[in-house]
Amino acid sequence: MDTDLLFSINPGSSEPIYRQLVEQLRRRVASGQLVAGQEIPSVRELAQALAVNPMTVSKAFGLMEAEGLVERRRGLPMVVAAQHQKAMKTRGRVELLRPVLAQAAAEARQLELPPEQVLALFKTLLEDKGETR
Amino acid sequence: MTQAMEPAMTHALAVGDRASAQALADDALGAPPVRASGLRVDFKGQPGVIAGLDWALAPGQVVGLLGRNGAGKTTLLETLLGLREPQAGEVRLFGQPALLPDDALRARLGYVPQQAALFEDFQAGDLLRYFRSFYPRWNDAKVDGLMSRWDIPRDRRVGQLSQGQQQRLSIIRALAHEPDLLVLDEPVASLDPVGRRDFLRELVDQVLDRGTTVLFSTHILSDLERVAFNIAFLSRGRIALQAPQDVLADEVRLLAGPVGRLQAAVDAHGGQVLSRRDLGEQPRWLVRFAEGNAPAPDAVLRCEALNLEDLFLELTQ
Repeated sequence: MDTDLLFSINPGSSEPIYRQLVEQLRRRVASGQLVAGQEIPSVRELAQALAVNPMTVSKAFGLMEAEGLVERRRGLPMVVAAQHQKAMKTRGRVELLRPVLAQAAAEARQLELPPEQVLALFKTLLEDKGETR
Repeated sequence: MTQAMEPAMTHALAVGDRASAQALADDALGAPPVRASGLRVDFKGQPGVIAGLDWALAPGQVVGLLGRNGAGKTTLLETLLGLREPQAGEVRLFGQPALLPDDALRARLGYVPQQAALFEDFQAGDLLRYFRSFYPRWNDAKVDGLMSRWDIPRDRRVGQLSQGQQQRLSIIRALAHEPDLLVLDEPVASLDPVGRRDFLRELVDQVLDRGTTVLFSTHILSDLERVAFNIAFLSRGRIALQAPQDVLADEVRLLAGPVGRLQAAVDAHGGQVLSRRDLGEQPRWLVRFAEGNAPAPDAVLRCEALNLEDLFLELTQ
């Protein structure tokens, strides 16, 4: 499994790396890109591939497990947990966007922007499938 | 606060009370890799560059040392390694005085100085052979692997290597004897992004395979962010703040707004003010709240999470 593709790091973010990892996995499980039984790279593999402190990766894995995203198996690689048979319904998936959109909404209010203009910008971004930045 | 966040280091101290210095040295396995107490260091006639610094590193910690230019990072690292005598205070490495290291202690230390201090007339290969003779342990496979991966010709004189190659050679020399404590002073300044990433992987390997304790200073914060689990800020001669990065990201917020609102928010949410900058109408306070306890921002009060760079700017202004 290509760990570089499964996880990535966005340096310079105020989001700590462990949370970036958890959220990436959460999104992939929600969208059905990863389903029950699929293997997750080990702490060692991921720490080496991303050049990230192993303790940071362990912490992310601990949270993924606590959240029921993955299951630990004695002596074997971790896998996506059994309950994640297929993609979440869109209603559940869209809820995953709530925190970032709530943040964007707060900033839009601070900037005193008219909602139509903000929504138009969001629409443009949604349609721009290529570059994200 | 620094102390409260380092539970791993406490057991080492309990041993010292009744024991003689020798017994303490014998118990070096339990002693922290670095313990500095009451350190004061003058530098080039400037008194108190390091001023009353107490610090300890727990085994296996990877700590990034941050501070502005001239804050004394190099002076501190040199003093910790026993290369510079403090005006007051003491450093112990694995329980032994840093100023009087025996061969066994030297073998446990690896150091990459800011300026690679290598013998320029030696060929790279001979230089490594020379250093090899001083150490009981030397990982030839690692040395060979890194020399070829990092493109350092063994038959080239050190003085004729590029800055980047010299720096890489200095890193190889510091990793070769598999130290338990690795101290790196701006180790990647002359490396390109690919070289830096490769170096970071090497550090991660050291930590995974040997549980090496690593202390390094760098101005390249994206590197620090990846590999340093703990961050320490050196400011005014002391460690102004040390905490795991994750904790800083989860708990430290920048508040901006009228002073009354700032104080009210801190009081209501049990915050601890780390620094205050008063910029006219919009003072900015750096405040630490228990996780999930930060106040919600509104039209008057700004409350923002910070990335490492912003945190550094706020803390060291």
